[in-house]
Amino acid sequence: MKYFDVNAWLGEWPFRSLRDNTPEALIARLERAGIHNAAVSQIEGMFHRHPQPANEKLAASVASHLDRLVPIATINPRFPMWEVDLAKCQEDLGMKGVRMFPQYHDYAVDGSEGRRLIGACRERGLPVFIPHRVEDVRQRNWMDPGRVVDLNQVANVISSEPEATIVIPNARSLAGSPVWTRKDIRDGLWYFDLSLAEVHYVLHRSVDRMTDLAEFIEQGGEQHLVFGTHTPFSYPSAARVKSAVLPVSSEVLEDICYKTAAKLLGLEVAA
Amino acid sequence: MSLDIEKWIRSPKIDVHCHVWNLGNEADEVTSAEQLIKAGQMLGITEYWCSSPITGGRIVSIEEVQAENDAVLRAMKKFPDEIRGMCYVIPGQYQEALDEVNRCLDAGMIGVKVYNQYRISDPACFPVIELSIDRKIPILEHAGFLEAPEHLSGQPLISNGSHFALANREYPEAVLIHAHIGGGGDWEQTIRWMRGTSPNLVCDVSGSNLDDGQIEFAVSEMGADRVLFGSDGTMTGSVGKVIDATLTDEEKELIFWGNAERILAAQGAKPTRPREGVAA
Repeated sequence: MKYFDVNAWLGEWPFRSLRDNTPEALIARLERAGIHNAAVSQIEGMFHRHPQPANEKLAASVASHLDRLVPIATINPRFPMWEVDLAKCQEDLGMKGVRMFPQYHDYAVDGSEGRRLIGACRERGLPVFIPHRVEDVRQRNWMDPGRVVDLNQVANVISSEPEATIVIPNARSLAGSPVWTRKDIRDGLWYFDLSLAEVHYVLHRSVDRMTDLAEFIEQGGEQHLVFGTHTPFSYPSAARVKSAVLPVSSEVLEDICYKTAAKLLGLEVAA
Repeated sequence: MSLDIEKWIRSPKIDVHCHVWNLGNEADEVTSAEQLIKAGQMLGITEYWCSSPITGGRIVSIEEVQAENDAVLRAMKKFPDEIRGMCYVIPGQYQEALDEVNRCLDAGMIGVKVYNQYRISDPACFPVIELSIDRKIPILEHAGFLEAPEHLSGQPLISNGSHFALANREYPEAVLIHAHIGGGGDWEQTIRWMRGTSPNLVCDVSGSNLDDGQIEFAVSEMGADRVLFGSDGTMTGSVGKVIDATLTDEEKELIFWGNAERILAAQGAKPTRPREGVAA
């Protein structure tokens, strides 16, 4: 089985030392867990008002690793003329998607800034990644706002931008999330990753909510899943363990673990 | 070198931090426990140390406490090979709490669960700790290093590593389990506070936080013989982070099995299934 990790990172997190956060170390760390390719962004970009220097640093650092790492731009739609940066990221730096951080750049996903960025990505054929959270908010440093992305807002923008491709890494409780429970967007071009969701059991006192991914799949959500690890924030093998027990056919598992991500990022899908 | 993830998934595991619930009807309780067991079977988990605590810091009557423990006893009776009981008590209920611990241990439970009604270092907990020493059983206390006011205000009496270190200084012979280092809160600070404490203070790895490095940090600060596998509902994540940790195979086996087996042995108990009998 090939694995394409849609949720990996390079660079520094201000509140905790990360290891394996250089291209060479990340590739080796993922390889140890049997993962060959990853979509990566530069962590610092989410904290900078103007993330473009971080994007350029990312492009330079992965330039000799493009067979393994796919660069994903960070765009702040509150920075003046961010469209210039978006164009440069796609046209000059070869970036294959955009990550947005409304909780750090301080805007609503379904507000005017968020919608403009998502609309611009849709026009350019770029998938948009909206991490539900970066770090567990319960351990937040006092300088971290400790916010998660409101999935109701994500659902709203999926509805208003149906041609945009939206990936939501690091979400949990997928079966109960508004992105899934809103029937009007159920067939939309949106995806959750495996990094933090559980499969066959979650801690809940209701027998109607004892599972997460398993229930999501049982209800027909399998086409909305992609493989992601959140490395180097998280242990990559956790997602591998999830993929090992997903209740799906081998063909669907192949889609989840590799093919869907490759298609989203415009890469050649291996036979 | 590549990890043999499939091999490690099959490797036997004892989950020291789980729950079964008092759901008001036995059919739902059986359904819930069956789902727990089914999910764990896919990951090599052979037994689950379960409690049904009163959460939210609520102080309730001893009758309500007993009702929670009765649910655990029902699950133990229904699934004797998989479910083991941890008797939940509110330590401030003093003699009633002690009586409840004795009742549950005599009915086959193997330890005590304390939640966030009292910090583990509060003298109100001392009689329960002393009883646990007498009966050679572990105490698992809900824990986490919370600093942000919006989180700490919800459970102001939650224990963290500093409280465990204080209790450990008072009772170095007590087997105290700091719950879920991945359960939210600052795992770096809570683990560091337990550095240099006596070997009977241990921690479990459970919780939804899968931060890279937390298992190795616990091992470096406390030792591999003081880190226990637990899930607290995060089964694949907890299995995955131990598999991925940069540790020796022997250290991972201690975490998945050996340390729990040693805690059981202190009270003359054994895993419900011998490790050798579980397909690897």
